[in-house]
Amino acid sequence: MKKRVLVCDDEESIRLLLHETLKENYDVTEAADGREALRLARSEPFDLIIIDIKMPGKHGIEAIEQIRESNKNVPIIICSAYRLLEDDNALKTADVAAFITKPLDIKTLKKKVSELME
Amino acid sequence: MNKKLLLSLRFVLIFATVLVMTYSKRGLYVFAPGYTIALIYLVSNFVLYFLSEDVLSKPLVSFSIFLFDIVTISLGIYVTQGVETDFYLIYFLVIFVASIGQGIGGSIPIAIVASIIYGWMIYRANPGISLLDSKFLIRIPFLFIISLVSSYWSHSARRELKKKKELEEFTRQLETEVARVSAKETELREYSEKVINSVTSGVIAVRNDGTITTLNPEAERILELQREEAIGQNIKGVDRLSALWQKMEHSMNSGTLILREEVSILNKEDESIPVGASISPITETKENLSGCVAIFRDLSEIRALEEKLKQAERLSYLGKMASWIAHEIRNPLTAIGGFAQLLETADDKEKVKLFSSEISKGTQRINNIIDDILAFARTKRNVAYTDINLRSLIESITSSLSNMNVLISGDKPPTIKGEIDSMRRLFINLINNSIEAMEENGRLEINFSQENDYYVTEIIDNGRGISKQDIKKLFTPFYTTKQRGTGLGLSIVKKTVDEHHGKIEIESKKGTGTRVRVYLPKEPKVDNTAT
Repeated sequence: MKKRVLVCDDEESIRLLLHETLKENYDVTEAADGREALRLARSEPFDLIIIDIKMPGKHGIEAIEQIRESNKNVPIIICSAYRLLEDDNALKTADVAAFITKPLDIKTLKKKVSELME
Repeated sequence: MNKKLLLSLRFVLIFATVLVMTYSKRGLYVFAPGYTIALIYLVSNFVLYFLSEDVLSKPLVSFSIFLFDIVTISLGIYVTQGVETDFYLIYFLVIFVASIGQGIGGSIPIAIVASIIYGWMIYRANPGISLLDSKFLIRIPFLFIISLVSSYWSHSARRELKKKKELEEFTRQLETEVARVSAKETELREYSEKVINSVTSGVIAVRNDGTITTLNPEAERILELQREEAIGQNIKGVDRLSALWQKMEHSMNSGTLILREEVSILNKEDESIPVGASISPITETKENLSGCVAIFRDLSEIRALEEKLKQAERLSYLGKMASWIAHEIRNPLTAIGGFAQLLETADDKEKVKLFSSEISKGTQRINNIIDDILAFARTKRNVAYTDINLRSLIESITSSLSNMNVLISGDKPPTIKGEIDSMRRLFINLINNSIEAMEENGRLEINFSQENDYYVTEIIDNGRGISKQDIKKLFTPFYTTKQRGTGLGLSIVKKTVDEHHGKIEIESKKGTGTRVRVYLPKEPKVDNTAT
């Protein structure tokens, strides 16, 4: 049985890209915003979460903090266009496994996901 | 009658009495009774010296004194047999003094007493003398004549004296009042001067010919004038201040107030100093303006701070713009790069088509972003204005909104002159904002009307509304309340409205909805900046 990955990005193209990149090895579920990601993470088990920060509905950092309240172990990768200082401060307490800055290289992403799944 | 005068006149009486007794028929020798009388008379005057003026001024006391005088003089006449001599003339002096002291009310009783005593002494010296004798008929009436004449004279003199005193009192009061008013005026002038000098703004007042009348320390500092030299000098003669004088002259000529206008004056180094001035004409009467007063502040520091703020804002915009570009471009760039990588290994035709399509969408997205940046940053455009039917334009935008309840109403189709692409972008932006603010079953109303020289397009939604805090920042570039907004949309809208000489108003209430009014002029205005 494939391991499960939750992909959360407000950009449909990015969700599609991540889906197409990872679907060969993983079971990929998509969420269009932080609120949906939180709902899915609370109701279903995931082995990895890839999430954007700047999104409508619920900010990525806020979503991560709330996911951590119920699931302290799931590895989380942030995939965002830029990294702000205030995000860094929030990430210290959120225990994020990796921060990948867009534009991303899909080989690097695949490698990172594979490492975290081991 | 005051004490000093009474004592002096009595000394005259005593002296006259002694003199007459000395040269009387019998003559005066040391042991003569007349000498004793004169001595008693003299002593009585010394006694009076010790009485207070209040006691002496009592009518009964002064009448008693004159009565004493008459009796003493009569005794003198009696002991010196002066009844045959001119001694009786002393009575005239007593009556005269009594009339000065008590007027006719005092002198007549004295004259009566004197005439009785003197009449008795004539009769005693000439027993059997007829009452028709000249000694009675001439001397006695004379006592009364003297009494009347002297009383009249003393009354007149007293009246004159009273008038004089009243006049003196009036003059004194007048002088006191003048001194008081003068002191008050000086105090007021000094106070006004202190107030003007304490004002932290510059204050300068001129007459209508330009002569400087008032200059406070702050005005001295800003205008670089010395008060001592400037007062009385004509401001027209100071070329550096010609801009200020022009405003003052305008205020005086028009009789109107100039409020917080910026004027540029020059300092002594010929550097321009921005000054914020309020000028008001000084009115003596409604028709006659006597000058004007200007209150002003040196705006150099404020302008320098504003410049720094603008600089900081520019840097802040640059920072925001950099992060905005990073976010907005990196997302489609990620898609383009990622799908390009996937294309390398794609063997399925459908997949190739899908990935190619995503690459195209990404490039289109980047192109749109570049359009937004250019629209925001552009200064001049070479695009011609065309007739735009706002209703047709908006209908073409809203026709694609199948799941939205759109109601268009209002006046006949308004046609303006403008840049069609800018106008389309403007209304797409506003309508998109409304749509994004609304949940399902949202209702979008678009209403056309006219107001003065403008066609008004109202876009009303029943969405979530905007907070008061956010409304203030709506037109600030890169400021967005939306997680996915670029923050440039309303900045571009505002820029387009300004370029078309229109205006835009936004009213909103959190939770209720938003009403946007776009005012566009009916008649196109010539824009000199556009080429």
